[in-house]
Amino acid sequence: MLQLVDVTKVYRGGKRAVEGITLDLQPGLIGLLGPNGAGKSSLMRIAATVTRPTSGQVLFQGRDAVAHPNPLREALGYLPQDFGVYPNLTAREFLAYLAAAKGLSVRSARARVDELIQLVNLTEALERPLGKYSGGMVRRVGIAQALLGDPKVIIVDEPTAGLDPEERVRFRTLLSDLSVDRVVLLSTHIVSDVDSVAADVVVVARGRLLRRGAPEDLLRDVDGQVWEATVPYSEVAAVRAVHTVSRMVRTTTGVRLRMLSPTRPSADAVPVAPDLEDAYLGIIGRSVAVGR
Amino acid sequence: MIALVLGDFRDRVRRPAYAATLLAAALLGYLAVPASDSRWAIMQLGPYRGLYTSAYVGMATALASTLWLMLGGFYVVRNTIARDERTNVGLLLASTPLRTPVYLVAKLLGNVLVLTSMLVVLAGTALVMQVARGESTSVDLGALLLPFAVVAFPAVVLTASAALFWELTPVLKTGSGNVIWFFCWMVLALGGQSPSAPLGGLGVSDVVESLGADMAAKGLDVTGGEFSLGLTALDAPLTPFEWSGFTPGAGFLLSRLLVMGVVVALALLPAVWFTRFDPALDGGVVPEAPDAVPVPAESGAFYVRGGLKTVVRRGSALSAFPRLLVGEVRVLLQGVSRWWWIGLALVAAVTVVVPIAGVSRVLLPAAWIWPVLLWSRLGTQRYECDVQSILAPYPSVRWRAVAEWLAGVLLTAGTGAAAAIRMVVAGDPAGVAAWVAAVLFIPALAFSLGSLSRTHRVFQAGYVPVWYAGVSGLPVLDLAGALRAEDGTPLGPPAPLLAALGIGLVVAVVALSGRRLR
Repeated sequence: MLQLVDVTKVYRGGKRAVEGITLDLQPGLIGLLGPNGAGKSSLMRIAATVTRPTSGQVLFQGRDAVAHPNPLREALGYLPQDFGVYPNLTAREFLAYLAAAKGLSVRSARARVDELIQLVNLTEALERPLGKYSGGMVRRVGIAQALLGDPKVIIVDEPTAGLDPEERVRFRTLLSDLSVDRVVLLSTHIVSDVDSVAADVVVVARGRLLRRGAPEDLLRDVDGQVWEATVPYSEVAAVRAVHTVSRMVRTTTGVRLRMLSPTRPSADAVPVAPDLEDAYLGIIGRSVAVGR
Repeated sequence: MIALVLGDFRDRVRRPAYAATLLAAALLGYLAVPASDSRWAIMQLGPYRGLYTSAYVGMATALASTLWLMLGGFYVVRNTIARDERTNVGLLLASTPLRTPVYLVAKLLGNVLVLTSMLVVLAGTALVMQVARGESTSVDLGALLLPFAVVAFPAVVLTASAALFWELTPVLKTGSGNVIWFFCWMVLALGGQSPSAPLGGLGVSDVVESLGADMAAKGLDVTGGEFSLGLTALDAPLTPFEWSGFTPGAGFLLSRLLVMGVVVALALLPAVWFTRFDPALDGGVVPEAPDAVPVPAESGAFYVRGGLKTVVRRGSALSAFPRLLVGEVRVLLQGVSRWWWIGLALVAAVTVVVPIAGVSRVLLPAAWIWPVLLWSRLGTQRYECDVQSILAPYPSVRWRAVAEWLAGVLLTAGTGAAAAIRMVVAGDPAGVAAWVAAVLFIPALAFSLGSLSRTHRVFQAGYVPVWYAGVSGLPVLDLAGALRAEDGTPLGPPAPLLAALGIGLVVAVVALSGRRLR
C-alpha cells in the first residue's frame, strides 16, 4: 500500500538523516525501532509527506506521493512526536476545525469527533480550553486527530509519551485492532511499545535500515545468545565493557545481569529465552561494532 | 554571566532572521548618505548638509541609527524572555542557583550585543559610503566611529533596556506593548531632540549646536531652515558645507552615562516582580489534570468495544470550506477578551451618531487600529502554537490558506461595518470603494507578512507606523480612505489598485503554501 524506495534525506549542512531506506508497507502494525537520533522521525515525516526526500520515491497505491501527495494525505492519520494546539479552543472546536481541513462531510465530522472524544476519554474536559490540558491530555487530542478521517495509513511517532501505563497498554491494543486492514507505522525507542502488537519490526540506526522481520525472526537471531548471571556489584562495569547487558536487577547476592554473548560468558551463566529487547540490543550492538 | 550572554547571542545570530536584520542595518547606512543629487535626506539643516567627511558621514549614520534602531531594533530584540519561556529554557535556568538580577543583566547584555552588532554593520557601511561618495578621500576612523560610541550606543542601551522592561511588565508584555512602543518611540524621537529634554535627551541638540556654529562661522544662513532628522523628500538637492566635527565635552559624556544608568535601572526594575517562569505565580496557565480517581479499564482512554463505528464520508473541498472558514474565524478570535469587544462596540456606537465627515476621517481609522493584534495572528498562529506539525500533512492546504485570509477579511469588515453602513446611507461610493479595498488589502498584508516571517511582530511593527502616517496626513499610506480632497475623493492609493495588490499578495502566499519543508 505504501512504499518507500531507496529514500535518502540530507539536511542543509550535510547531515544525512536517512540513507537509502526501502520499505514496502502492507496492512498490519509495523514497529519502527531505533535509538534516539536514528532517523526515525525524518523517515516518518517523509512517509507522511511533510518532508520531501532528497532522493528516492514514496509510492502510495503505486502513485508517486512526493509529486502528488493529496491521495496519501486524504488517507493518512499522522501524529508527530512534538506538536501544539490552539490554547483557547476546546477539544471539540479544535477537532471540528481539523475535520473540516480533512474534508469530512458535516454529519461524518460531527459523529466522528464525538466518537473520538469518547475514545480518548476527554468528555468531561470538553468545555475546558486546550491550554488548560495536561501533557497527557494534549497527547490524547493528538491521537484523536490522527484517527479523524478513518485513515488507511496511520503514522504515529513516539505516541505513548505522556500516557500513563494503563493508557499505553490500551492504546497499543487499539492500534493493533486498527491494523487489521490498515498500515500502522509506529515509531518508538521503547521496545515494549511494539513487542506485543507488532507483526513486523524495522530497526534503524544512523539513518540506515539494519534489520526487518517478524518478531519471531528477530528472536531467532539471538537464540542461544542470551544469558543470566549474578555478579558482585563491583564487577558489573567489567562485564558491561565486554558484553551487551540488557537488564540489571539487584538481588541479595549481587546484581543479576541479563546479557548477550555468542558463548557462555561465565561458568555460572544460565541460558534464557530471548525477548525482543535482547534482539533489538543485539542488532544495535552489532551495528556499533561494525561502525567502529 | 558571560556564558549566558554568549549563549543568548549565539542562539539569536544563528537564526535566518538575523541576517535580514543586518541587511536592514546596511540599507539604513546606505540611506543615511545619499548621492549629491538625491531628492531625499535623512539629516539636513535647512537647505544644507555636511560635506561627506568621516566626521559628517559617521555622525549622520549614527544619528540615523539612533532614530531608527530605537524603533526597529526594539522589535528585533523584544523576545528574549519569551523565547526562554517558549523553549522551556527558562524553567531550566529557574531551577539553577542563578539569581534573578543576574539573569536579567545577562538578558539585557544579550539585547545590547545584538543591537551593537547592527551598529557595527552601520559603522562599516558608513565607511564604505564615505569612500563611495568620494566627496572627501581622507578617512579618519576616529572621527567616523566617535558618533557611534557617544551618540548611537547610548540609544542602543536605551532600546535594549526598554525591550527587556516591556517583556517583563504586565500589559506591555502583550501584543499591545508593540503598539504602545511605537507611540513611546515617537515621543522619544521627537522630544529627545529638544535642547530642553531631560538629561540631554538623545544628545542630538549638542550635535546640532556644533553644526550650527560651523555654518555660522562660514557665513551660512542658519535661520533658513530647521534641523531635520528622519526621512524627508526634498525639492532640490542639499548644499554641502564642511563641518569640522563633533568634540563631546565632559557634560555631554556625563549626560550619556546618566541616560544609560537610568535605563539600565529601569530594565532591572522588573526583578521585583519577575516570577522566574512559575505559572502558578505569573497568572499563566496551570494544566488541570483529570480527576485523580482511578478510571475503570472499560471506561478509560482508548477502550473501544467493537472498534470505531462512525462511517467517515468525505465531501468536496468546497463543501467543507464554510466549516473551515468558521474554524479559521474561531482560531483568529480565540482568547479575545471581553474588553476588546466592549471597545469595538463603543467605536461602532460613536460611528453611528457622529457627522459623516468624522466617520471616515476619525472613526474608521480608529476601528482599524483596534484589531491590529488579531490581524498579526494571520499566517503566524499555526507556527507560534506549533499546530503546523499536525497540519503539515493535511490535504487542501491552499483552501486552508484562502480560508485563513477570508477570516481576516471578515474581521476587517466586521470592525469597519458601522462606518461602511454610514457611508452607504450617506451616498459616499468613493468611501465605500476605499473601504472594500482596505478590507481586502489589510488582512492580505497581515497574512503575507505573517506567512513569510512566521512571527506576529513583523505586522505589528509595520502596520502601526503605516496607519499612523495615513492618519497624520500622508496620502500614499492612507489605507482607510480617511484623507479626502475637497470634492470628497479619497487621496489615498486608488481602491482598485489596493484591492488588486491585496489579492495578488494572497495569490502569492496561496501558491507558496503547498511547498513542503525541505
